[in-house]
Amino acid sequence: MQLISLPDSSPLVTLRILFRTGSAQDPEGKGGAAWMTALQLASGGSRTRSNKEILDAFFPLATSVGSQVDKEMIAFSAETHRDNLDAFYEIFRAMLLDPGWRSDDFQRLRDDAVNYLESGLRAQNDEEFAKEMLYQCIYRDHPYERHNAGSISSLKTLTLSDLREFYTAHFTRENLTICLAGGYPADFERRIRQDFSCLPPKARPQQPIAAPASGTESNVLFIEKPARGVAISLGFPIGVRRGHPDFPALLLATSALGQHRMSSGRLFNRMRQIRGLNYGDYAYIEYFPGGMYSLEPEPNLARSHQIFQLWIRPVEHHHAHFALRLAIFELDRLIRHGLDAEEFERTRRFLPKYSKLLLKTKDAELGYLADSAFYQIPPYPEYLERTFAQLTLEQVNAAIGRHLHTDSLQVVMVGEDLAALRDGILANRPSPLEYTTPKPDEILTEDVEVANLALNLKARLMPAEDAFA
Amino acid sequence: MNTSMAEDQVLPFPYHQHDFENGLRLVTVPVPYPNIVSLYIVVHAGSRNEVEEGRSGFAHFFEHMMFRGTPAFPPDRYEAVLQETGASSNAYTDDDRTVYHTTLTRADFETVLAMEADRFMNLAYSLEDFQTEALAVYGEYNKDSAEPVNKLFEVLRDTAFDRHTYKHTTMGFLRDIERMPSMYDYSRTFFDRFYRPEYTTIIVTGDVEPDEIRTLVQRHWGHWARGSYQISIPSEPAQNGARQASIPWPSHTLPYLLIAHKSPAYCDAGVDCAALDLVSFLGFSASSPLYEKLVLEEQSVDVLWASNADHIDPYLFSVMARVKDPARLPDVQSAILATFHSFSTTPIDTGKLEEAKSHLRYRFALSLNNTEAVASNLAHYISLRRTPETIDRLYRLYAQLTPEDILRVARWCFQSAARTTVTLQQEAE
Repeated sequence: MQLISLPDSSPLVTLRILFRTGSAQDPEGKGGAAWMTALQLASGGSRTRSNKEILDAFFPLATSVGSQVDKEMIAFSAETHRDNLDAFYEIFRAMLLDPGWRSDDFQRLRDDAVNYLESGLRAQNDEEFAKEMLYQCIYRDHPYERHNAGSISSLKTLTLSDLREFYTAHFTRENLTICLAGGYPADFERRIRQDFSCLPPKARPQQPIAAPASGTESNVLFIEKPARGVAISLGFPIGVRRGHPDFPALLLATSALGQHRMSSGRLFNRMRQIRGLNYGDYAYIEYFPGGMYSLEPEPNLARSHQIFQLWIRPVEHHHAHFALRLAIFELDRLIRHGLDAEEFERTRRFLPKYSKLLLKTKDAELGYLADSAFYQIPPYPEYLERTFAQLTLEQVNAAIGRHLHTDSLQVVMVGEDLAALRDGILANRPSPLEYTTPKPDEILTEDVEVANLALNLKARLMPAEDAFA
Repeated sequence: MNTSMAEDQVLPFPYHQHDFENGLRLVTVPVPYPNIVSLYIVVHAGSRNEVEEGRSGFAHFFEHMMFRGTPAFPPDRYEAVLQETGASSNAYTDDDRTVYHTTLTRADFETVLAMEADRFMNLAYSLEDFQTEALAVYGEYNKDSAEPVNKLFEVLRDTAFDRHTYKHTTMGFLRDIERMPSMYDYSRTFFDRFYRPEYTTIIVTGDVEPDEIRTLVQRHWGHWARGSYQISIPSEPAQNGARQASIPWPSHTLPYLLIAHKSPAYCDAGVDCAALDLVSFLGFSASSPLYEKLVLEEQSVDVLWASNADHIDPYLFSVMARVKDPARLPDVQSAILATFHSFSTTPIDTGKLEEAKSHLRYRFALSLNNTEAVASNLAHYISLRRTPETIDRLYRLYAQLTPEDILRVARWCFQSAARTTVTLQQEAE
C-alpha cells in the first residue's frame, strides 16, 4: 500500500484511490471484467446501501465517485467539502471495500458499457473510434488489444462472479495507492490507511505485458459508416515512455509537430491554418483518450508501452487522400530535417512551464504524482525542468531519427463510401488539392509533391458494425 | 482560504470591480493558489447578436478570425510569444458570449495582456486568410455532425423559436456556414460593432494584486476607442401551441427524446429562474424519483438530463432522455410529462427542497477548485449581468425559495402550449 498526501487548508478534500491493475489483466474471454468491476463499485450499491440510497445521500453533498479504467491502472476519484467529509467517506469506504454486487446494478451498468461501445464510440464519435481502432491494429494479439470496456459480445457473457473474482484477485493492498489532498483532519490519513488494510495483501500474479511486435508493413484500415467527413488516425509503437532517456527529446519533438489542441504545431499550421483542410491536427507519444473534449490529458493512464500517433480531425471526403499524404509528408520532413533551432528553443521553454498548468487541481497533482511513481521519475514538472535544462537540439533530432519513421505505419480511416478512396490510395493515384483562394507558390509547389507522394500501404475495409463486436 | 458554507456569501474570494473611462470593465479576484493567473476576456456578444438574415454562426466564426493576427503580431509571432510563456489558451462562443481565455504563470502576465489588447484593437487579416478559416469552421461542423445531440438542439431551437436569434445554434445553420467565405466585409462590420470596450469585460483571477492589474489594464487597454452600436434583438412572441419535430438519423443510434418549454430569462431579482434551476435537479437529477423509475428500476433510459440554461433572453427549460428500446419511447414521454404535471400541482417536500439548495451551494463550492475554474465560473455570470455580485444574489434567491414558489413557477412554465418535443431515431433501412 502506498500513500500520497498533500494536506493543506483548503475547504475541499480530494481523494484518489488507485489500483495498479487494469483491462490488460482481463481473463481470457472475459473482456470488460476490469471495466465492469470498477463501474460496479463506483456506480452500484454497497452491501448496506443500495445505489439509490447512495445517490440520495450524495445529493445534498453534491458529490459523486468517478472511475477510470486503463490497461494497467484503475482510478477512483472524488472530491467533497470538508463540512461533509465524514458523511461522504463512510459511504465511499463501503463502496470500495464492501461492495453490494447487486444484479440490478450489474444489468444497468452492463447496458451502459454495451451502449458506450455500440451507440457511442462506434456510431457517434468517429474520431475516438478511429483512435481506438488504431490501438487495436497496433496491438494485435497483445494484452492491450481489446478496448478497455471489452467487446459487446464479451460484456454480454460476463457475470457478477467474474467481477467478484477480478476484485478479489487484483484489488489488493499490493496494488493499492491512496492519494489524499486538501483540508482533511489530522487523523484522516491514519483512518483511511487502517480501513483499506482490510483488502487482501497479495495480488494474483499479473499477466506480463511484453513490448508489441514491431510491424513490417504499412496498413490502412477503412471503416465504413455514414459520416460527413473522414476521420484519420495513424501511428506505430515506440519503445519510449516517461523515464526513458529519449522521452524528453521525443516529447519536445512531438509538441513542435502537433501540441494537443494548440495552434502552435507544424501539423496545425500546414494542414489547417494554411490549407483549411479541417479543424485541427495533432501528435502524441502517450495515450490520450477523449481529446475532443479535454484540453489536458487525464492522469493515471500510465502504460508500460506507448505509441506515436497523429490525429487528423475529419476532412472532407475528397480531401482525405491528400490529407493522409500531407500528414505523412510532414512526419517525413520532421524525420529528415529535424527541428530548427528557433522551434527547439521555443518548445523547450514552453513545455516545462506548461506542465505546471497541467497540475492545476489537487486531483491532477495527486494523479501525476502517482504516475511518476509508476514511471519511477521525479514529480512531472520537476522531471521536465531538469531534463529540458540539459537537452540540446542535436539530442532531439537524434531521438527523432531513432524512434520515428514512416514505414510500417498503421492507419485508420473512418467514413462513408470508402472503396474508391481505398482504390486511389492503393494505386497511388494523384490527389491534387484545389483551392478557391490564391495560395503562395511555395504551397502550390509543395502540393504537387504531396499529391503524388507514393504510399506503400496495404488496405482492409470493414463495416463499423464489426468493431468491438 | 478558509470558508464554511454556512456563511452568506457563496463566492469565497473577494472581488474587485473597476470601470475604465472607455466603458471597459475589469473584475479581479485574488485566489490563493500560487503563481498562476487566468485571464478571461468576455465579449458580450454571441450567436444571440446574429440578427441579420443569413449570418447565423458568425460570432463563432469571428472568434476563429481573432487568431489571424495583427501587423505587430502576425499569427506565427502571436503563437511563438504565447508558447514561450507556457500558456494554456483557447476561446469559445455560445449564445450570449464569446470568451478568450489564457492561463499562465504570473511572470508572463503582462506580455500576454498586452498582446491580447493588440489583437482586440488592431486585428487585420486578408481575404485569403478569411476564406481559409471559413473552411476550418466547415470542418468543425463536420466533426460535430456525428453526434445526434447537436442535431437535436439544432432542430429544437429552429422549431421552438420564430423570431429570436436563439432560433439558431452557435455553430449556425449549415447553409449559412457554407456561405461564410463571401462575408469578408461583414466580418469587419462585426468587429467594429462588438469588439469594443463597452461590450467587453476582463476577468483576472489568481495570484495577483488588484491595484497592479488595474494599472496594467489601463496601460494596455485604456486607449481602446469606445464604439456606438446598439443592438436590437427581435423579441419572441408567446408560443401558443405545442410543437414537435422528428429527426431520422442515418446511422445507428438509440432513440432520443427532448422536451422543452419556454422559460424566463436569467434573473437575480425575482425567484422564477432560480425556481426552475431547482426543478431541474429535483425533477431530473440522479436522486430524482423519475431517475429512479426510468434509469434504476425499469432501466428503460440510460441518459436523463435536464437544464434550465441561463440566458440573457427567455430561452428553454429542456429535458432529454435516451431510450434503450424504441418501443418504450411513449412510456418515457408520459413519465416525463407526468413529472411536469406533478411540479405544477403538488408542492414539493420541504426536506427535498432543502437538499436541493444544499446541492447547489456545495456544487458551486466544489467547482472553484483552481484558478482557471474560478475565472470560468465568473465568465458565465459576468456575461449575464457583468458583475460577480449576481452570484451572491442568485444564491440568496435559492435560499429563500419555498414550495409555493416552485408550484407557481412550474404551473406557469410547464404549459403544453409552450412545449416543443423533438425525437431522433435511426431511420428505417
